[in-house]
Amino acid sequence: MKVAVCVKHAVDEAELKVDSSGSPLLAGAASKMSTFDKNAVEEALRLKSAHSGEVSIITVGTVEAKKSMKEALAMGADRGVLVVADPLTVETRRTAELLAAAIRKGGPYDAVLCSEGSSDIYSGSVPPMLGELLGLPYFGYARKVEVNGQTARVERALEDSVEVVEAPVPFIASVVSEINEPRYPTLIQIMQAGKKPMEELAPDAILPGSGPAPTLVASMKAQTMARKKVVFEGTPEESARKLVEALAAEGVLPR
Amino acid sequence: MAIYSAEHRRLMEIFHPSGSQEYSEVLTSLGSFMEKEILPVSPRVDAGEAKIAPLRKKLFDQGMCQIPFPEEHGGLGLPFSVYANAIELLGTADASIALSVEIHNAVAEGLNRFASPAQKKKYLPSLLSGKTLASFTLTEPASGSDAATMATVAEKRGKEYVIRGSKMFITNAGEADLYMVFAKTKVGPSCFLVDAPNPGMTFGADLKKLGMKGSRTSEVFFSDCRVPEENLVGAEGKGADYAKEILHGARIIVAALNVGIAQIAYDKSVAYARTRRAFGKPISEFQLIREKIADMKTAVNAGRLLYFYASMVKESGADFSSEASQAKVFSTEMSLGVCDSAIQIQGGYGYTTDELHRHWRDARLLTIGEGTSEVLRMLIARREMARSQ
Amino acid sequence: MTVKVWAFSEAPSSANEAAAAARGIAESAGGTFTVVGVDDGLGLAGDDKLILRSAAKLATSPEAAAEALARAVKEGGPDIVLVGATRNGKEIASRLAVKTGMHCVSDVFGLALTDGKLHGRRNVFAGKLLAEVVAPVPCVAIIKVGSYSALQPSAAPGTTRDVGEVSTKTRVVEQVEKKRGTVDLKGAKLIVSAGRGVKKKEDLALVNDLAAELGGAVGCSRPLSSDMGWLPEEHHIGLTGISVHPDLYLAVGISGQLQHVAGIKDSKVIASINSDKSAPIFEASDYGVVGDLYAVVPAVMKELKARRH
Repeated sequence: MKVAVCVKHAVDEAELKVDSSGSPLLAGAASKMSTFDKNAVEEALRLKSAHSGEVSIITVGTVEAKKSMKEALAMGADRGVLVVADPLTVETRRTAELLAAAIRKGGPYDAVLCSEGSSDIYSGSVPPMLGELLGLPYFGYARKVEVNGQTARVERALEDSVEVVEAPVPFIASVVSEINEPRYPTLIQIMQAGKKPMEELAPDAILPGSGPAPTLVASMKAQTMARKKVVFEGTPEESARKLVEALAAEGVLPR
Repeated sequence: MAIYSAEHRRLMEIFHPSGSQEYSEVLTSLGSFMEKEILPVSPRVDAGEAKIAPLRKKLFDQGMCQIPFPEEHGGLGLPFSVYANAIELLGTADASIALSVEIHNAVAEGLNRFASPAQKKKYLPSLLSGKTLASFTLTEPASGSDAATMATVAEKRGKEYVIRGSKMFITNAGEADLYMVFAKTKVGPSCFLVDAPNPGMTFGADLKKLGMKGSRTSEVFFSDCRVPEENLVGAEGKGADYAKEILHGARIIVAALNVGIAQIAYDKSVAYARTRRAFGKPISEFQLIREKIADMKTAVNAGRLLYFYASMVKESGADFSSEASQAKVFSTEMSLGVCDSAIQIQGGYGYTTDELHRHWRDARLLTIGEGTSEVLRMLIARREMARSQ
Repeated sequence: MTVKVWAFSEAPSSANEAAAAARGIAESAGGTFTVVGVDDGLGLAGDDKLILRSAAKLATSPEAAAEALARAVKEGGPDIVLVGATRNGKEIASRLAVKTGMHCVSDVFGLALTDGKLHGRRNVFAGKLLAEVVAPVPCVAIIKVGSYSALQPSAAPGTTRDVGEVSTKTRVVEQVEKKRGTVDLKGAKLIVSAGRGVKKKEDLALVNDLAAELGGAVGCSRPLSSDMGWLPEEHHIGLTGISVHPDLYLAVGISGQLQHVAGIKDSKVIASINSDKSAPIFEASDYGVVGDLYAVVPAVMKELKARRH
C-alpha cells in the first residue's frame, strides 16, 4: 500500500518571540514539524504495517523543512518529497495545488493523510481542497481509519456525532490528534533517516505557469491578553478566601 | 524550555565539529522524549508514587543503552561524550532513573572491556537493547572505598564457584537480571556474572534514601550461591583492576548526571526569581539574587565543560582517570552548591516543596557513591604529581 | 456597488451566526444578505432565505452540500460567501473555493468590506498573534465559531432551490449521535476546567463538585480527554477543541499551554489554581492561586458555601 502524508514544517508557536512593537520575529525562529502532523505520519505507518507498503512524506517548505521530513523518516517513513516554497508566503489554495501536483507526480497513492490543521495557522482548508483537486473521496476529522481490501472505512469525529463513512481506495483523510499516539523514533532510526531518499521539486516544474500566489495575511501582531495577573499565595484557606472575594467583586459568581 | 538546548548544541559543535549535527539530532530526540515522558512523572517518582521500571524500559527501547557501544553488539558507536550528554539530560528529567541506567551501562561497559567473546555474545545484546537489566555489585557493608578488603568470597568447587557474603547499597538490586559481582577467590578479588534468579542470591528491603527515590537500592546476600565457572570474567584476581577501570568511565557519567541535576535546579530558580516579588519588584532584580544566579550558571557551565573534556580524553585513548575524577569531584560538589542556592532563592517554598528540594536530595548521594570525593582527591593528586615529575 | 453576501451553514445555528456577520457587512457596505441553508431549512434567520435541496440529505454530506452550494453560487453570483466554521463547514467552504476559483480565508471574525476587499481578523500561532487578512472579492470566508451572536430564526419562508442530482464519492454507513448530556461549553457562562494537576480520574469529583456549587459546566485540557480518556472530547477546550467565552473560567490544575489558552481567550474573567508558581496559566489569568488544588479546591468550596449563608 502506498501512502502519502502531507506534513508542514512550522514555526514553533511556543518559542515564537515578538519585538517591542509586537511584530513577530519569524526570521530564524525555532521551527518544528507541525504538532498534529505526527499523528498523520503515525497513522500512515500503521497502515503500512497492516498492509505492507511504503510511506512518502510530502511537504511544501523551505530547505529547513528537511528537518521535519527527517523526523518523519526516522519514525519509519520511506522517502520524502520537498516542494521548495515558503508556506508562510504562499496562499492556502496554492499550497494545496502544489501538494496535489507532487502527489500526482509521485503517485498513484492508495491513501493521502493530513493532520486536522497545522499548529501555526490551523485553517484546516488544505485537506478538503486536496480532495477536490485530486477528485478523490475525502474524509475529514478521522478518528479511526481502516482499509479492508479496496474499501476504506473511516470514523469521522463531528461536533455532535460520530459518522462512519466508506469509500473505495484511493482516498484522502485528515486525522484528528486523538486518533493515535505517535511513536518515538529509536536513536538508530534517527541516525539512519538521513540515508533515505529526499527529493526536491521546484514549484514551476510541477505546476507550470503558476505565478506568485501571495498569502492573504496582510499583517500579524502579538495579542496581549490584558489580564490582571493577580496571584494569591498563602495558606489554602487564605488564598481561597481572597479568590472568592475577588471573583465576587468581579460579579462573576452566582447570586 | 527544551532539555537539550541551544547551548548544548553549541558545545557539541565545538567538541565535535564534524559529527555534531548527527549527535545533536540524537540528543534532541532523546531530550524531547524525556521532556514528554519522564519529566512530568518525575515528581511522582520522587514521592514514591510511580515506579521507574516502565519509564526505564521506554528509554531502553529508544536506544539509551546503545549509545557508546560498538555496532557489532547492537550499539550505536557514538562518542562517549554523546552518551555522557544523554545522561546529563536524563539527570535533568529524573536523577534516580539516570542513576539506575548508568549503573546498568557500567556493567555493559565492563563486559565490553573485559568479557570473553562468548560472554559478550551471551549478555551484551540483551543489555544494550535493555531486555535485561544489570547491577554493579561491588560495595559491602564494611568495604566501600577500600575495595581490597571485601569479605565476599568465591570458592572454586569443581566446575562451579560458590559465592558467600553480602553486598550493600547496590543500585538495581532485586530488579536486575544480571549481577556483576566482585568476590575474592584464593588469588584475589575477581569478577563474576550472576544471573537472577539464583537460589543462593537474595535481596534486602529497598533502603529508604534521602533522595534518588526512584532507584531500588538494597543489600544483596550470597549464601551458597553457585555460578558456573564460565561466569568468571577475565582472570581470577583481576577483579579490582576491572572495577577500577569501569569506575573511571562511570565517574565521567556521574559528573554529567550531576550537571543535569544542577541545570534543572538552576532553571527552576531563575523562573521562580522572575515571578516572586518582594519590595515591589521581582526578586530577580536584586543584586544578591543575581550574584547567586551568576555563580550557579558559571558552575553548571564549568561542570559541563569538565565532563566533556574528560570524555574527550577517554575517547583519545589516553589515561583519563585523573580527568574523570576531577569532573566527578567538581560536578558533584558543584551541584550540591547549586541546589543549595536554589533552595535559598526559592525560600520557604524551596524548603517545603518536595519537587524543589529533591534536587539537592538527589545530588547529595554522589559525593559519596562511585568514589568518595576524599578518595578521588587522593587519586587526582597522585596522578598529577606523577605527571609533573 | 451593492454587495451581495451569502451566509451559509449546513447547521442552522451556525448559519445564523454567519448571518449576523453577513448583515454587518451588508449594512455598512451597502448591500444585501441571504441566509442559505439545506434540506428542510428550518430554524434559519433572515428575511431573505435560500434553501438548497437534493434527492439525498445535504446536511450530512459536506461533499454534496459543497456541490449544491457551488451550483447555487454560480447561479446567484454572490460577492462574498460566509460559511460557519463547523467541521463540515470548513470542508464545504474549502471545496467551494476550489470549485468556483474564489479565494478562501478561514476562522475569521471582525469582518468588514473596505475598498472592494474583505478585511477580517483571525488568531494564528495558537492565538499568540492576531492576523489581519484581506481577501479580494469574490471570496469565501469561514466564520470563527462563536464570534458573532446568532440572529434569531425568522418565519420567512424563503426560496427552495432543488439543485438536482449530486453524486458523492463517500457513503455514510452509520451515524452515532453523541450523548448530549449537560455539556454545552460553547454557551456556558461559567466553566470549571480540570488539567493534569488532577492525579486520578476519581479526583475529578473535586472539580465536578465545584462546578455544581457554582452552577457551571465542566471542561478540561487536552491530556484529560485525548490522552487519558477521563472525559469525552466534548469537554476538551483548546485550539483543537472548543473555544469558550464564559463570564468566569476557572482552571484547576492546568498549566496553561498556548494550545489550551487559545480556547479561553474570550473569557471575561480567568481564574486559576496551580501548584507551580511558574506555570504559564498565571500569565493568562486575572486571579491565580499558587497552591495544591487538593487543598485549595475544598477551601474554595467552603468559602462559597459560607457565602451562601
